Amino acid sequence: MTLLDKVHREVIERLGNLSVTARQAVESVLAGQHRSVRRGLSVEFAGHRQYQAGDDLRHLDWLVYARSDRYDIRQYEEETKLRATLILDTSGSMGYGSTRQTKLAYAQALTAALGFLMIRQGDAVGLVACDTAIRHFIPPGSTMAHLLNVLATLEQTAPGNETSLAPVLDEIAGRLNRRGLVILITDTFDDPRALLNSIQFLRHRKQEVRLFQILDPQERTFPFQGMTEFVGLEHEPRLKLDGDRVREHYRQIFQDHQQRLQSGCHAAGVQMETCWTHEELFTVLIRALAWK
Amino acid sequence: MIEFLNPLLWGGLAAVSAPVIIHLLHRRKVKQVDWGAMRFLLEMLAKRRRRLFLDELLLLLVRALLVGCVALAMVRPAFHHRTAENAARGITRQGRTAAVLLIDDSVSCAAGRAQPVLEAMKKLGLAYLDSLAPGDEISLVLMSQSGAPANDPLFDIEGLKAHLAGLKPSYVATDIPALLDAGMNQLKRHVNPGAELVLLTDGRKDGWRQDDKVRWDELRQRLRGPGNAALGTRQRPQVIILAPDAAALDDNLAIIDIALDRTLVAAGRPAGLRVVVANYGKQGGRQATVQAAVNGEVIGSKPAEVPAGGRQDVVFTHTFETAGSYAVQASLVNHHDLLPADDSRALSIQVEASVPVLLVDGANSPAGLQGKLGFLAAALDPDPGSPGPFKVSRISLAQFTPSLLQDYRVVALGDLPILEPAMVDALERFVVSGGGLLVGLGPDSDLALINRYWARNGEGFLPCPLQRPLSPPKPALPAAISLGHPVFSGFGSKSDEAWKAAKVRSYFKLDAAKAKGAELDVLLTMDNGDALLVERRRGLGLVTLMATSLNADWTDLPLQAAFVPLMRGVAGHLGSFVMPPRNLLPGDPIIYARVKDPSKPMSAEDPSGKPIKLTLGSWEGRTAVLSEPLMEPGVYLLHDPQLPGPIRYAVSVAPAESALLPIADREMTQSLEGGVSLFHSPTQIVANLDPARRQSVELWKWCLFGALGLMFLEGWMTRREA
Repeated sequence: MTLLDKVHREVIERLGNLSVTARQAVESVLAGQHRSVRRGLSVEFAGHRQYQAGDDLRHLDWLVYARSDRYDIRQYEEETKLRATLILDTSGSMGYGSTRQTKLAYAQALTAALGFLMIRQGDAVGLVACDTAIRHFIPPGSTMAHLLNVLATLEQTAPGNETSLAPVLDEIAGRLNRRGLVILITDTFDDPRALLNSIQFLRHRKQEVRLFQILDPQERTFPFQGMTEFVGLEHEPRLKLDGDRVREHYRQIFQDHQQRLQSGCHAAGVQMETCWTHEELFTVLIRALAWK
Repeated sequence: MIEFLNPLLWGGLAAVSAPVIIHLLHRRKVKQVDWGAMRFLLEMLAKRRRRLFLDELLLLLVRALLVGCVALAMVRPAFHHRTAENAARGITRQGRTAAVLLIDDSVSCAAGRAQPVLEAMKKLGLAYLDSLAPGDEISLVLMSQSGAPANDPLFDIEGLKAHLAGLKPSYVATDIPALLDAGMNQLKRHVNPGAELVLLTDGRKDGWRQDDKVRWDELRQRLRGPGNAALGTRQRPQVIILAPDAAALDDNLAIIDIALDRTLVAAGRPAGLRVVVANYGKQGGRQATVQAAVNGEVIGSKPAEVPAGGRQDVVFTHTFETAGSYAVQASLVNHHDLLPADDSRALSIQVEASVPVLLVDGANSPAGLQGKLGFLAAALDPDPGSPGPFKVSRISLAQFTPSLLQDYRVVALGDLPILEPAMVDALERFVVSGGGLLVGLGPDSDLALINRYWARNGEGFLPCPLQRPLSPPKPALPAAISLGHPVFSGFGSKSDEAWKAAKVRSYFKLDAAKAKGAELDVLLTMDNGDALLVERRRGLGLVTLMATSLNADWTDLPLQAAFVPLMRGVAGHLGSFVMPPRNLLPGDPIIYARVKDPSKPMSAEDPSGKPIKLTLGSWEGRTAVLSEPLMEPGVYLLHDPQLPGPIRYAVSVAPAESALLPIADREMTQSLEGGVSLFHSPTQIVANLDPARRQSVELWKWCLFGALGLMFLEGWMTRREA
């Protein structure tokens, strides 16, 4: 199944099958998500209202005053074409999967769906696939042809080297000169401090950042029993451990990691969504689209 | 000090290694998994590697300790707390008591003026049982049941009290060393830590067998246990003697023996029956009437006046008309004393028409006075075919087969050059099971073969090895005899004269040193000091060895008049032993080994005519009929359908029991080398054996508690890790 098929199935069919109310809710959530962060390029008139004390005189409609000697304030909404950059982590650890799909496959589908949704509402979407370095880079575009290009690139991605997102994010931050949205899709198996620093740097570069953390359920439960030899996907040394005996310690480390990430994201004003690979993609989308 | 009550289960501690082995096996079963979140595992190991290792080690230790605690509990450790106070008191009760009550219920317990001594012994025994507490183990070992299969200890103290209260004197003889030895054996069946060997005795001296120093040394060593054994443990039990005050029991007249005036009783010839009456009183002579009966028919009554501390022989003469088994009974009539059980006695006699004797001659065709045993044959049976005390069969070596031996009571070997190994084996078996063997040497005797196969350095059937044949320039003369020996019963008081003309030209010098000295009895020596005729008991039989020939080859003794009574004495003595024995002590069984047809049932009856159960078994490798132990004195009958009359077995009490001599406290304690507590009254027992004075604890419960605690700890650790 190609990514296009997946997007079709997960987004169009599933959302299309939602009840009208739910779909409207989704669409209403989608509408106006990207309230302009700067003014001027595209201003849409909305109506007039009577002036009230304290209103900015710049919005007074002088033509109405000249014609009817009334003080009306001109109301309008400013909307802009969003420039979103989807950053997909393709490190080796993303190749793990205990369910029907690996984390990378899940992340590819999520990236595609988000790209589709954004292009459908007229935003520009770019793609970065990276591990220790940038492997693929597609500048933002807003046409369906561009989407197909993005999907084709996504399909080419495969699990690669170690996870080292921080330098990649720093490099991307340098490339992004205009305000925009950065959507980071990764398992975050990286040094959380460096990752959060890089996210802060992105924020400093006036980028809205959203983090999708893709995890396999076993990475939380650690269900291994008895002596197990763990073979790393990022060329780490092999480890022989008694699963029963280290489970609690592992879970503690995992929880600490999650806690650190969540608190770091919260402090940086970054919305973080943890996605489990056994979850249906559209439920994740609904959850994500409900972000304020 | 800690003692382990089940040391045989020490091997269970090997189970401690089970958790380690399981752990190692567990580590070998590894499954491989591709894993993405290695970062967390590496971080965990970096932070907690030491703790994980310590946790693993601790868990392993806890599991091993758990198993170890269970194993240790099964070994049953007991902690003995010894204090100076306990040591001074001499009695130390170690936790739960394992008591073996040894009851000397011998015939002497029946002695007493108002009531038997046994009643006073019972009171002591009951007082001792009162000092025990629930949970204490106790075994009862009776003198009358020594040899019976051991029973497991009991906890039912009240039941044992009832059993003790109903105890009656038996007729067996006392053997205190044997009783203590049985007690030590019984103690092995106990599991409680505080071991007590309690000897309940009537305090009579004879049963202590103080002359048997070898047995006492061994027993004392056993009672002492290993050097580091604490007093009151099963290795070194506390010995408690309960003996009533030894009252003076000096009024006892007893028949202590019935003897015949000859070794072999022949049918139709008068035989003298000597009844020995002993007076164990200390003051004045005692008069009594001794009545003798043969097979229940009185043959006479004679008065006896026995001085205090003395003995008197009362002789009856009786002619046994036909061959067969007889029982002579002697009793004191119209007589009452402190111990009625020894006022009568019985003797079983086998009257022979003739004793079957087999002569194996070294010559090829022995006949008449020719051959190696011609003179012996003539001496024993001068007129073959006519009735006589000996029925002689004479064969050559070539005719000698093992199967022949079962029909003879005496076998004589005359200067045999060689014997097949099978024959040597058969002769050894014949002697060991009660046969009589006479061996004569001569010029054909092979020194090397005889020493190698017959003597076997003192272990064979020959009384002793031979050194070398000697032919002194001046012939040796028989010089000294062992006076009083049954072999010389046919010689008168002038026996020395009978040997003067006999000359021994050649003989084998005997290597008496290689025989076990005390067992070798020299009956006849020569004037040069060398032995000429020796005798040695082998098993249940006898072997007599003549160092020279039994014909005229090396000596002219066969030509002397003394030769006939000498050889008859030897053959009579060798053939006088009826095996298996028919004169028994209480507790012995009937053993009848001349079973020709086991399919034909035999029967037996006790003195009152009640039938006795018989079983088929074996005795000295032969099929035999055995009865249960005969506990009461008297004459028992065994009926063999193959024989015309019954076989009579006589059971009489041991003569030593009649003395009733008390043993001093000091002698009792010295016999056991101290470490003994001696009580004469129930109040002493109560004062010294208070059940509250328990000084030690068994630790198995604590081990199990520890195991339980470790189990919870292990569960908690496992859950915490999971």
